[in-house]
Amino acid sequence: MEHAIESVDLVKCYGARKALDRLTLCVPRFAMLGLIGPNGAGKTTWMMSVAGFLHLESGTVNLLDGGPFDPSVHAGRITILPQDSELPLEGRPLELLTHYGLLQGLAPQEAARSASAMLEEVHLGDRLNSPIRSLSHGMRKRVMIAQCFIGYPEVVLLDEPLSGLDPREVAHMREFLTRRRGRQTLVISSHNLHDIEVMCDHVAFIENGRTVRVATLEEMVGKASTLVYLLTAEPSDYGTLTMALPDVTFTFDVATSSLACRYNPRHATAEAINGVLLPVLLPQCGVISVMRGASLETEYLKNL
Amino acid sequence: MSGLRQMWRVACYEWFDALRSRRALVVLLLYLAAAVCNMHWSINLLHKLENELATALQLPQSERTGVVSTTLWKSKPFQRMMQQMTQNDLVLKDITGKHPVELIYAWFAFFYTPLLVVLVAGNRIAEDLGSGAVRYVIFRTSRASWSLGKFVGQTLMIGLALLLSGCGAYAIAKFRLAGSGTPDLFLNMVQWSGRAWIYSIPYLGLAMGLSHFTRSVSKATVMGIIAITACFVLSILIRHFSAETGWRSFLPYLGELLPDGHKMYLWRNAAAPLITGSVYLTTLGFCYLLTGYAFFRKRDV
Repeated sequence: MEHAIESVDLVKCYGARKALDRLTLCVPRFAMLGLIGPNGAGKTTWMMSVAGFLHLESGTVNLLDGGPFDPSVHAGRITILPQDSELPLEGRPLELLTHYGLLQGLAPQEAARSASAMLEEVHLGDRLNSPIRSLSHGMRKRVMIAQCFIGYPEVVLLDEPLSGLDPREVAHMREFLTRRRGRQTLVISSHNLHDIEVMCDHVAFIENGRTVRVATLEEMVGKASTLVYLLTAEPSDYGTLTMALPDVTFTFDVATSSLACRYNPRHATAEAINGVLLPVLLPQCGVISVMRGASLETEYLKNL
Repeated sequence: MSGLRQMWRVACYEWFDALRSRRALVVLLLYLAAAVCNMHWSINLLHKLENELATALQLPQSERTGVVSTTLWKSKPFQRMMQQMTQNDLVLKDITGKHPVELIYAWFAFFYTPLLVVLVAGNRIAEDLGSGAVRYVIFRTSRASWSLGKFVGQTLMIGLALLLSGCGAYAIAKFRLAGSGTPDLFLNMVQWSGRAWIYSIPYLGLAMGLSHFTRSVSKATVMGIIAITACFVLSILIRHFSAETGWRSFLPYLGELLPDGHKMYLWRNAAAPLITGSVYLTTLGFCYLLTGYAFFRKRDV
């Protein structure tokens, strides 16, 4: 099985508006895919369609080689953190997650153990039996994230998992999710491109219900073909740069004061480019740092 | 895991969760209070009637209620009145001689159960659809298990409410009415709670079936109240307009689709009509629920 999720030509309409317009997206097994797109692009609709919440107009979904979502086949193997969905307010985190574990087919002891461990992981060990009603927004969000990982599912869909968390919890949750890379298939939608860049190894850009681009993060940001120089000022003489490296394309971003150098990795290495460019650059401006690859934000904005 | 076991897990959690729900708890306590007050006032009325009867018969007036009840119960005018109320000779024959406390409670339970059902359970599904809580469950179990589990959980909740109201009414009768503290009467009261519970099933199916159609709690409650009122009015109209010949002869068949069409089976003593009525009413409940589920199965959540 190459792909954990194969969704082909999905069409979903809300009245006259097409939320998914022949969207095709395949998620490799054990990948951690970041789903990026503007509001209303179709990210949430795609996740809800894959999880069987929505009925599609057309298109096919193949989930873990078991066809479209079917609870008798996929229960316990796929979980989702849905957006804008409240947990039962009278429930208690431990008892609720244990109940979910039981529904997934875990034995009672295993469900309770798994629920308790997950709540400890999201720093809610001291609120195991507090009513959901009494928890803050961030705490509820952490319970919602924890419920996704009960029973170690194969595929986890997370819709805006880090929104509403305080900075310390965001950092902890990023680390918690990153630890799962290569062990479970995760799809994360977020507007925070830095989070995606830190956690994911695959990225998909979605817009107007269609997939614009899907690639590994390395390909997307051009780690093997781009060097980015953070400079103190814009180089005063581009002529000397192009004369030294005629096959390299230079782009300066005034907002970040960075110079992107795109080269063909088959003809040159990053070290060779850097060795030639630095002596030419230094007389013109100060060089603060050099990075491989552009930022995801730059690539995303370029693709719009 | 089998669908049936999952359904049972959903049902147990639903029951547990409903017991904690403030709204359900308030309605349950109000129902218990209503049962107790109804019994208290009915005994007051009975006491007044007995005193008037004693005065008319020139008997000594009693301090305690219930002493003259047996005489009252056996009197022809009272039996004629009961016949008018039940409109069923078989039922009249079966309830004749029963303790007045039983009948007072039975009348209360049967009359108010539909309202209890709508207020406690009528919006539980709409509530989960509206808040999105259903989205945490239906990728773990089938929609059918969830729907049916919610229904069974609420059935248990209503059963508990009726049992408690029966116990409350018995406690009042025990202290207020002469010779009412017998274990037999207690068991009979529990039995009437059970009969009212069976009677609640079609209303539960109706209210919860309708609850599948909306995400709004208030809309679900209003829809439930309209539905039980419609059932009540339709039953009266069918009874009134039914005839032996013509198109009106089909009206009784229409009545079979309503809970009231089978209610009187539950007032009988013999096992056969009791079982028949229970089967009919339970089937009706499931049919009503299935109508809502058929819509929910295809809807986006």
